[in-house]
Amino acid sequence: MRFVRNLIPLAVVFTLGVGVACKKPAPAPAEPTTPAAAPAPATNDADAQKRADEDAARRKAEAEAEAARKAAAAAEMARLAKFKNDAEAALKDINFEFDKSDIREVDKAKLQAIADFLKANPDAKIQIAGNCDERGTVEYNLALGERRAHAAQNYLTGLGVAEARLSSISYGKEKPKVQGHDDESWLINRNCQFTLQ
Amino acid sequence: MKKFVLGLLCALAPLLSAQAPPSQEVVLSASAGSKLGIALPYPRISGLPEATVTTEFQQVLSKDLEEAGPFAVIQKDLPGATDPASYKAWAETGTEWLLTTTINRSAGGDLEVMIQVMDVVAGQAKNVKPVVSKRYTGRDGALRRIAHKISDDLMARLTGEQGVASTRVVFVKEAGRGIKEIYQVDRDGANPFPVTNFKSLTISPTVAPDGRLAYVTYKGGAPEIWGQRVAGGPQVKLYPPAGKIQGHCFCPSWSPDGRRLALVQGDRRGNTDIVVLDVASGRVRQLTDSNCINTDPSWNPAGTQLAFTSDREGGPQVFLMGDDGSNVRRLTREGTYNGSPAWSPSGSMIAYVSRFEGKFDLFVYKLGEGKSYQITTGIASSESPSWSPDERRIVFTSGSRGGMQLYTTDLSGNTLRKLINLDGCQSPKWTRSR
Repeated sequence: MRFVRNLIPLAVVFTLGVGVACKKPAPAPAEPTTPAAAPAPATNDADAQKRADEDAARRKAEAEAEAARKAAAAAEMARLAKFKNDAEAALKDINFEFDKSDIREVDKAKLQAIADFLKANPDAKIQIAGNCDERGTVEYNLALGERRAHAAQNYLTGLGVAEARLSSISYGKEKPKVQGHDDESWLINRNCQFTLQ
Repeated sequence: MKKFVLGLLCALAPLLSAQAPPSQEVVLSASAGSKLGIALPYPRISGLPEATVTTEFQQVLSKDLEEAGPFAVIQKDLPGATDPASYKAWAETGTEWLLTTTINRSAGGDLEVMIQVMDVVAGQAKNVKPVVSKRYTGRDGALRRIAHKISDDLMARLTGEQGVASTRVVFVKEAGRGIKEIYQVDRDGANPFPVTNFKSLTISPTVAPDGRLAYVTYKGGAPEIWGQRVAGGPQVKLYPPAGKIQGHCFCPSWSPDGRRLALVQGDRRGNTDIVVLDVASGRVRQLTDSNCINTDPSWNPAGTQLAFTSDREGGPQVFLMGDDGSNVRRLTREGTYNGSPAWSPSGSMIAYVSRFEGKFDLFVYKLGEGKSYQITTGIASSESPSWSPDERRIVFTSGSRGGMQLYTTDLSGNTLRKLINLDGCQSPKWTRSR
């Protein structure tokens, strides 16, 4: 196809292009598909005209389709970027007091933001991971992480989020967010983390 | 002479009564109040290099005997002297038992180890039969295993109690950020190697008496209990069954008969309960049902009771219950955070951890006395106790934050030993099974 197209003088394409702009793009199968057909325009001017006409129409249609595709992709990219930005802005860790799984007052606004995000994005699902600091036993912390994840889950369902959109998991103290061994690090590691599924 | 062994037997009376009676008469030749001196002259060897015998046999056996408890290894050697004429000289070094060894390796790689133990104190006065005379065989590479077996056999001959030189410890080791795998290591710290290679979070191992493993792995995303349905068999999912299960499962613990797994099942409210899975049938029985955390199940040796951790009365404490969930009673009374119970092999004690000022120490609760004894006191945090099969020692993790290593201690806390120099270890389980 590309070979054929290159044989047609560019000038013809430009002069005829405007006239065929509103023609419905012809499907590809009508086009000559072998290089052997290329010499034809030299023997018949009318055929050459028609062929150039069709070719220009097709090229324009392709360009338009490509532009539409790009626009759609860009829009989708923008939508995803906004979704990602919104998710990042909304899905902030909440933290817990030592050996506790109660939602702190200071974290209720964060959970409201998560609920708002989920309402604005009805297809989004999130996983809630409960985590603990390193100071309890391995096994007890797995249970405590479970309880923290469910505390967050219950709070969100209380704000009207469908339970089916929330899954939970506990990593106990097995996946600390930060490696420090002080009060500040421990507070960071006693958390629920929210991730898109 | 008899005082030591009799004292030992009294201390072990509950243990011995719970186990098979010793097959041999117990030797009563230990000095009062001291250990039995045993000398290990260098083996006569043929067909293999001295360096191999030194590192794979002589040093291994010497360490095993030292660590067994009732032996003192006499480090002196009287070159070439192992006949009755030399017994007096041996006895003067403090030796009571003289262990002579011959090691042969065939061209084909077959090993033969022959040992003979003579009582050089009794042997001076009259001709006596060897205390032990035994032959061991194996293929190349088996020397270390044979040395462990010899130590265990000498221990059995002296005390009537099976030694632990041939045992191993299964544990969890960090293998990357967010990645943990199940490992194992011989009791003497040799031959550490990974058992799983899921490149995922894999934790909480338990070992059945026949060596079958079970553990928790996150390799499929959510935690599942995997392990072996048959000894030596493939690693497969044991729980939960396919289909919808609310909540997650943690902390498997094999029953002493290896048929049931106690495990922890989360519910949809975030509570966790102890359930018991009959592995063959898949039947599950729920033992606890309360609005709280229940975790850490540990069986008594009869398989009729479980110790577990619960926060039903506030902070975490150790409780006991029947294997049907009946007769729940609280065990630990002191401290605000007690957990990780481990029922001892004889059933008479429960090891656990208690937190004070941010770090854990090991404690042992003696059921007969109704009292707790503190085992470790240190600046490091000591966690996850598991009993040696002979109940003489406890393996646990200890260290600074993030650098937990494997240690063992006796019940007095006096002979603390690092099992292996390896960081990022947790949840050791000590087992006889190979």
